[in-house]
Amino acid sequence: MIDVDVSQLTVILTVSGAVLLIAYLTAISAKDLVRLLISLELMFAAVFLAILPLFTINPATGYTLAIITAFTSSSELLVLVTAIVLLDKRKKGVDVDKVAVGGDSL
Amino acid sequence: MNIETVIIAVAGIFAVASSIGVLLTRDNFYAALYMSVTMLFVAAIYAAFNLQPVVVIIALIFVGAVGIVTIAIAATYRAKPSRQVSLAWTVPVIVVFGILAFAYYKFATQNLEITGQEVFPVVASDYFFVVVLLFSLVVLMMLSAIKLARRVDL
Repeated sequence: MIDVDVSQLTVILTVSGAVLLIAYLTAISAKDLVRLLISLELMFAAVFLAILPLFTINPATGYTLAIITAFTSSSELLVLVTAIVLLDKRKKGVDVDKVAVGGDSL
Repeated sequence: MNIETVIIAVAGIFAVASSIGVLLTRDNFYAALYMSVTMLFVAAIYAAFNLQPVVVIIALIFVGAVGIVTIAIAATYRAKPSRQVSLAWTVPVIVVFGILAFAYYKFATQNLEITGQEVFPVVASDYFFVVVLLFSLVVLMMLSAIKLARRVDL
């Protein structure tokens, strides 16, 4: 049994919030899809930190959420890597400006 | 403040510092490396609470698989783009972060207690169908991605 005191909880949630905000900043300042992928992975790191207090309530649910988070992150990586490869094949580049849906231009 | 809190705080500071490295570096390859380092420090925080199965999940899946694939992709597309957001955005971000940290400090008033580190083996049986569903979804997505990639001509 491990006690998580208030200062530890504050540190964990503050670090999680800081990493999430930095990931958001990275995402909105990204000019290519690779940097966007990296920022999304950073967001998952923040999510992993945020679910740590759940282990104090129900550890089994905490483990399950950790597994679901890992699977979601892996699936997101799979989809984005495919999107990056396809975009590079079609548009000869991975810039965010080249991403358009239905012929829309940014 | 005990030694565990200091260890967690140091790991957290390094995690935030390496994630700032992701934001500031202009090279995708180094950004991916900083991202992997951030994940390792997140795993270190879990290790401080003796939640070893989650440490293994983060180290094997996040750093070992996702991180390495991201580093490989970043090394392939190693562009050096300029930022498209002005640094003036950092002011509201810092304000929001300050409010968030104050709220955490204000409302986190109760000690928490981590119990049942031994329940991890039970998860596979209790949540068997969830795990099977997740595996099936990942395999389905992988097959869809392969089919989609093969359909696009070079």
